[in-house]
Amino acid sequence: MQYSRNMALLKNKIIWKERGNKSPLSFDVLIDRIMLFLVVGSLLLFILYPIFMVISTSVYRHGVFSLDNYRDLLSPVNLKLIKNSLFVSTLSSVLGTFLALCIALYTFLQKERIGALIYRLLMTTLISPPFVSALALIMLFGRRGLITYNLLGLSVNPYGWQGIVLLQTLGLISLAAIMLISALNAIDKRLLLASRDLGASALQTLHRVILPSIYPAILSVLFLLFTINMADFGTPIIIGGKFKVLATEAYMTIFSAADLGKAAAMSVLLIPPAIIAFYFYRKNLEKNNSLADGVKALGGEGLDFRLPLFIRIALGTITGLFFFLMLLKYGNIFLSAVTINVSGKLTFTWKHIEAFQFAYLPAVYRSLSMAVIAGILASVIGILLSYYTHRRQLPLMKPIEFIASLPYIIPGIFFGLGYIVGFNNHPLLLTGTTAILVLNCTFRHISVGNKAANAAFENLDRRLEMAARDLGASPVRILTTVIFPLLKSTFLLSFINTFTACMTTVGAIIFLVSPRNVVASVLMFKDITNGHYGLGAVVASVLIIVTVAVNLVAIKYLGREGGKPYVA
Amino acid sequence: MLLELKGITKLFDKDNGVRDFNLTVSEGEFITLLGPSGCGKTTTLNLIGGFLQPGRGEIRIEGRDITHLPPEKRPVSTVFQSYALFPHLNVLENVAYGIRFYRKEKKKQALSLAREYINIVRLEGYEKSKVGNLSGGQQQRVALARAMATNPKIMLLDEPLSNLDASLRHSLREELKSLQRQLGITMIFVTHDQSEALSLSDRIVVMDKGYAIQIGTPREIYFYPISDYVAGFIGKSNILTRVGETIMVRPEDIKMAKNAQGDYTISSIVFMGQHTEYIISAEDTTLEVVVVGKENNNFMQGDRVNVTISHQLGQMGNEDISLVPELK
Repeated sequence: MQYSRNMALLKNKIIWKERGNKSPLSFDVLIDRIMLFLVVGSLLLFILYPIFMVISTSVYRHGVFSLDNYRDLLSPVNLKLIKNSLFVSTLSSVLGTFLALCIALYTFLQKERIGALIYRLLMTTLISPPFVSALALIMLFGRRGLITYNLLGLSVNPYGWQGIVLLQTLGLISLAAIMLISALNAIDKRLLLASRDLGASALQTLHRVILPSIYPAILSVLFLLFTINMADFGTPIIIGGKFKVLATEAYMTIFSAADLGKAAAMSVLLIPPAIIAFYFYRKNLEKNNSLADGVKALGGEGLDFRLPLFIRIALGTITGLFFFLMLLKYGNIFLSAVTINVSGKLTFTWKHIEAFQFAYLPAVYRSLSMAVIAGILASVIGILLSYYTHRRQLPLMKPIEFIASLPYIIPGIFFGLGYIVGFNNHPLLLTGTTAILVLNCTFRHISVGNKAANAAFENLDRRLEMAARDLGASPVRILTTVIFPLLKSTFLLSFINTFTACMTTVGAIIFLVSPRNVVASVLMFKDITNGHYGLGAVVASVLIIVTVAVNLVAIKYLGREGGKPYVA
Repeated sequence: MLLELKGITKLFDKDNGVRDFNLTVSEGEFITLLGPSGCGKTTTLNLIGGFLQPGRGEIRIEGRDITHLPPEKRPVSTVFQSYALFPHLNVLENVAYGIRFYRKEKKKQALSLAREYINIVRLEGYEKSKVGNLSGGQQQRVALARAMATNPKIMLLDEPLSNLDASLRHSLREELKSLQRQLGITMIFVTHDQSEALSLSDRIVVMDKGYAIQIGTPREIYFYPISDYVAGFIGKSNILTRVGETIMVRPEDIKMAKNAQGDYTISSIVFMGQHTEYIISAEDTTLEVVVVGKENNNFMQGDRVNVTISHQLGQMGNEDISLVPELK
């Protein structure tokens, strides 16, 4: 071997003073400490403190500790509301979970390319401003509905509990199906082969292997839908008619009666189902982790797995019907934005768009900047949290991480209320500012980036950081030169999720907006509740277009970066 | 002394870690830490690299205590198992990383210095390649260049050859040795492969359950193992009881001669080409015998043989290493 040249270069000539006796608290270490302090401090202040404030508000009346707020909840009027809530939420959650399971199974059993296509379509339908389904229902099937009245000459009343169940069911199918598909994909395909090999039919395999494997996921989805539906005040307000539920009442109590104690007690009632959902979610994760030890890379290709024809037809019909309704929904939104339905005749109009131009552009701009800032902040904090918790394994970080996951599971109405009661006084007076909206959106979605970063770190060889330190990089340098570059795709993924959610959210922030800091999604909600359907449709269209555009840009960037984090 | 480890102890739990580890390394030496997985060899390396803090003991380089220095300030660098190359950087940027942050050179200067090291490991033309697109052997060279580029006083290598296939492993072993010899870099090498240890090292540290069982040259370790554990881990050995005394004998140090009234019967034969392994047994003992060369290779299963022992493994005890007689 010829190594002789450049020998002089390689003489071991290290100079000690280069790395002199710096004090342990060097500049980099200081920055590291400050970042840690900011992450932990902000999570405590903007998550734990508001939650604590809701609970404390609910047990105080006129400054004295009392359980009156809870006692009042048991009045006959409120009991009726609770009963209504339970009835509607149970029905729509069970229906939604069942239909989502059908779609997920159908997708799972398709050839890889078709399955990927359905999955992508489902992801697209996640980009949906709230209540556009309600809007579509009213405009297509309502008293003056395009289909019921214009085409069929009927006058149907869509208002009532049936309308709520229909919309809540349809509204959460995409989310539920995506979660279930992930659970199905985590099944080791060899289990299915083994089951067939041991003499079970496809149907028996479905019954004995597939469904039991995803049982925790099904429960987790069921309770998640239940939680979301219980906390949904918008749909009942728009389509419920005379039918009232607990969440609507809590919303009204905050806005009309301004009785925060009572509203707080009501929203505390929404917590138990959320905790159960979370429990099953965690259990599901653990199960997936323990299954993920083996090799499960075996793809579905060439795997002969056919359910009986009638089941395939049923699953296919449900999936097809769902996408047809989605098509109808989006089509209707775009159509309604530029038409007006006068005495049974659909006519083109610029009216809505003109009205939008004058009044709404600042709100859309505010929505956009709020979602972008929240997307960036939530992703950075989520990744840093994961880094300090799992990579540096600092003490006490596990409970902090749990706190960060709370806003994801508690109802938006609860979290919004927390910000009202938590930040309405000096020195934390934030009411009515854009900052409070950004903070609320940011800290609601830390969990997404955090979970994504946790997964990415699992696949990232720890020795990369050891190597970087070995080569002289300080902890902060490692973050900027190794960790963040390698987690770029994780960051983008988290950003897209948070951005999309923030652009279309109403639940938590509706309590935080004033005319000064109103955002597009809230304006849209108000338009729909006031019957300005055309204007609402324009806002919905703009929100959809902007969100899809940003998503496409981010996905394109993601594709260029190689898609998924590098696995060492 | 370049490196001194004095009474290093680092315990993870009752069974894992390093206990009372003492070692001195002089400049230019090639030291191998050898042992089965879980014996503490990587832990020792990580203690020297600064990735772990010892519970007790002291680490000195050129007399200077570095026990509490963080890895980024220690004059040692590591070639990690599976290399830990930065996947988002190209070959040149990987090699330049330590020059920038450890030697604190400006980026431009760092990149031009890095080229020199890339030439040394003969990777010219691959400067702009993504490390993920390189073969295992090339990645290994990048890792080597990256570690050398900080001008370390000691290079630590954690099973750097274990990810390579057999023939590549063999040729890279040669390269590593000649690199080390020509550049005079002090290296501490971790492996569980006895042939790597024997062929590369100036001295071998045999480890078991966190203890350094024996430290010596490859010849000392092979011919004068201090325990049956060492004898069994490096090469094979037969344990015999003779007149109340237990002795160890390497399979190749036993000669067989056919004899119809012989004490031993050949019970199994494994033909390996280069050599042949025989298992022979008498009433209460079973021995393994290795025979080299074609002319001695005419034994059949069931043959009765007598054996003579040409060399028994000596107990080193406390006797001075230099007094060990030179072997033929």
